[in-house]
Amino acid sequence: MNLADIKKLSDLARIDMSNEEMEGIAKNFDSILAYVGQVEEASKLIDKESEVKDSQNYKLHNIMREDVATNNRGEYTDKILEDAPDTLDGFIKVKQIL
Amino acid sequence: MIDLRTLTIKKAHEHLKNGDFSVTDLVNEYLKVIKEKNNEINAYVEVYSDISEQVKIAEDMFKNGTATLMTGIPVALKDNMLFEGHIASASSHMLENYKATYDSSIVKQLKDQGVVFLGRTNMDEFAMGSSTETSAYGNTKNPLDTSRVPGGSSGGAVASLAMDGALVSLGSDTGGSIRQPAAFCGLVGLKPTYGAVSRFGIISMGSSLDQVGPFGKNVEDAEILFNAINAYDEKDSTSVKKEERIAPLPLKKKIGVPRSFLSGDGIDKEILKNFEESCQKLEKAGYQIVDISLPLIKYSLAVYYIICPAEVSSNLARYDGIRYGLHAEADKLYEVYTKSRGKGFGKEVRRRILLGTYILSYGYYDAYYNTAIKVRNAIKEELKNAFLDVDAIITPTSPLMPFKFGEKLEDPISMYLADLFSVPANIADIPAISIPSGKNNEGLPFSLHIMAPLFREDILFAIGKDFEKQV
Repeated sequence: MNLADIKKLSDLARIDMSNEEMEGIAKNFDSILAYVGQVEEASKLIDKESEVKDSQNYKLHNIMREDVATNNRGEYTDKILEDAPDTLDGFIKVKQIL
Repeated sequence: MIDLRTLTIKKAHEHLKNGDFSVTDLVNEYLKVIKEKNNEINAYVEVYSDISEQVKIAEDMFKNGTATLMTGIPVALKDNMLFEGHIASASSHMLENYKATYDSSIVKQLKDQGVVFLGRTNMDEFAMGSSTETSAYGNTKNPLDTSRVPGGSSGGAVASLAMDGALVSLGSDTGGSIRQPAAFCGLVGLKPTYGAVSRFGIISMGSSLDQVGPFGKNVEDAEILFNAINAYDEKDSTSVKKEERIAPLPLKKKIGVPRSFLSGDGIDKEILKNFEESCQKLEKAGYQIVDISLPLIKYSLAVYYIICPAEVSSNLARYDGIRYGLHAEADKLYEVYTKSRGKGFGKEVRRRILLGTYILSYGYYDAYYNTAIKVRNAIKEELKNAFLDVDAIITPTSPLMPFKFGEKLEDPISMYLADLFSVPANIADIPAISIPSGKNNEGLPFSLHIMAPLFREDILFAIGKDFEKQV
């Protein structure tokens, strides 16, 4: 990992960071990735048969609720806007996009 | 004078019922201790200003006969639990002004039972850490030895209890954040089964791993607080309905020890010696201790440090400086994002978000994330099979004794290793408890870690109580 790799990640993650910090992270990443790379070794210990069974056992499914209104219009608006840094006429105000 | 050191929920309840002291008296005793000790220990980051109103509700419940075991019990919350009208900041600059607009389900359940919330306690920022040193509110000291960390991430919650600043407290546990601090401060900490306690209104870290659980001075208190929040909640889609939970079966009184897991590098010799003594104590209490082989369990920590940062990077994407939380001024929207996030998040949080972003990026997703999921499922299967033969599996709670401030902060891998024994329970969704198992020459606590099958917290309480009698 080098500075350019970390710079790209900080852009993707939308986090402003100093070069000094990114250099430190580049160093940390090499040791962290070497450590977590052990999963590759672990996956070789798993036999194919149990792997198929596992993927069936641990299949995720969505939990849905009925598509109905759960509150009255505007019920929470004031409360929520209280936490917003910038508001205008009952809306949250944002900066120019482009 | 109420003797807070030996006070339990049941004792407090009896006294409140008999009128030996009132909820006001009890709460005032705790507030006195907080005033005296919190400046140094820094367990609480805020003591709530509406305590007297909460006390009044509890006293009314005693008067009109609707009081339950938890009514009037002073409880400390972790700073990542939403309590309407109060700040919940996850001990981050990002949320230091965030006022909760609703109650988390656990707060609501406990409010209905007349609990008195004293305040919110310090934690590692967004629960990322094992020492509470990454908090934006400064360090929390271990009340047993103030030169040492209290563990983390629920370090404030455990310290509030260890300094007698609350009767019980609540923490959250993603990789050991309840059990490891309990071990460092000589208390009991429980991570319930994934899906047992609602996470609605808890600030998310790793959503496939997070669980909320209790701290107590003994197993009974932890059990009572767990029972008070152990409920299905339709607002948490990972909450499991009562009828889908496995019904309790009689104990075989057989406990497994994964020997090869205990022989790795970096495990304190003193801890291993204490663990052998704990095994003998359990034998004396009538349990059969057998060696079991779990070849995959040692990979749990590597799996964790893939899955957790991946989930962190997507969960924390919501903090954009627009709707709530820290907002940095800039001309363009994009810069509002990058500057708010750069300023709002601390160093460890930034590091983990970047790590998760890398793990989930094109070209690395399969090698890291998908492989980790495959190994995670195999670890679940390995533990499920082990529980066909034994009631529970034991290890030490932490491979390390409580360490000094700054000792591990600059070396992430050595900090991550603090979770070696606690992480498998999160990976496999199973419940686990940490229980004090004696002290060393310096007065620092040892701790035994017990894991049980899904929804079998009852096994942990049964073994835990038998073990407590031997210590």
